[in-house]
Amino acid sequence: MRKLLLQLEPVIWLLFGQGILIGTLLLTGWGLVLGVLLPLGMVPEEALSYDRALRVGGSLLGRLVLLGLAALPLWKEAHHLRSLSIDFGGAERDVWIAPLLYAIAALGSLLALVAVFRIPFPG
Amino acid sequence: MARMAHPQAMQPARPPRTRTARPKAPDYLRPRMLSYLLFDATGIVYLLAGLVVLRAVFALASGPAAWQAFVADLHHPGYVAFHLLTFVSAVFVGVRFFRLFPKAQPARIGPLRPPPRPLIHAMLYAVWIAVTAFVVAAMVGVIP
Repeated sequence: MRKLLLQLEPVIWLLFGQGILIGTLLLTGWGLVLGVLLPLGMVPEEALSYDRALRVGGSLLGRLVLLGLAALPLWKEAHHLRSLSIDFGGAERDVWIAPLLYAIAALGSLLALVAVFRIPFPG
Repeated sequence: MARMAHPQAMQPARPPRTRTARPKAPDYLRPRMLSYLLFDATGIVYLLAGLVVLRAVFALASGPAAWQAFVADLHHPGYVAFHLLTFVSAVFVGVRFFRLFPKAQPARIGPLRPPPRPLIHAMLYAVWIAVTAFVVAAMVGVIP
């Protein structure tokens, strides 16, 4: 498993790098709207209606943004929680922690890909 | 003519004491260590945020009823508090990561040199603000 992780390291680092960069770029706006503007009543009801969400989220750019928002933060999570686990528990348990965290990120990314493809095209 | 010196002639008779510090547990309460651990711990927020977005995408794919249920949940104080935490975490990660990013650039790529560090830093902030403005505009309905 350790050998496989070393072989996959360039791919893992690429996804981690995009997770921290693109994930942060996208999550800032997402968190700002749903954590600040929504409770302040600054998001109109119509903006979150199904028809509008489908129109925005069902476009090609919308699907790409949703895929990035759902999948990329999982890779940032996997790599940083692995690092945290090594800092607190030593490197011994990394043999099973790292595959577990990367498997969660890979499974989440796969689910995000499936979900994005399942969004109906706006009529 | 002098005989050639043995390659290890200058080696000390006994191996010297290592000059590296003995391994010891880090001081977890030092501000720099705390900041570093907090940076890593935002991974938990990113994991949960990714799962919330995943739920949103599945709800959007499942139809109006599932979407309305998801939107209703977004008004729950727990969701609001979590998204506020997501916003704070993303800002914390962005500020720290964008400060490190210019230092991690190679000194030279072929004949090209990267722009000065302050310029890279400014460009990252400009992109960050632009992308955030775009996401906010798309979500609150400014972009029709």
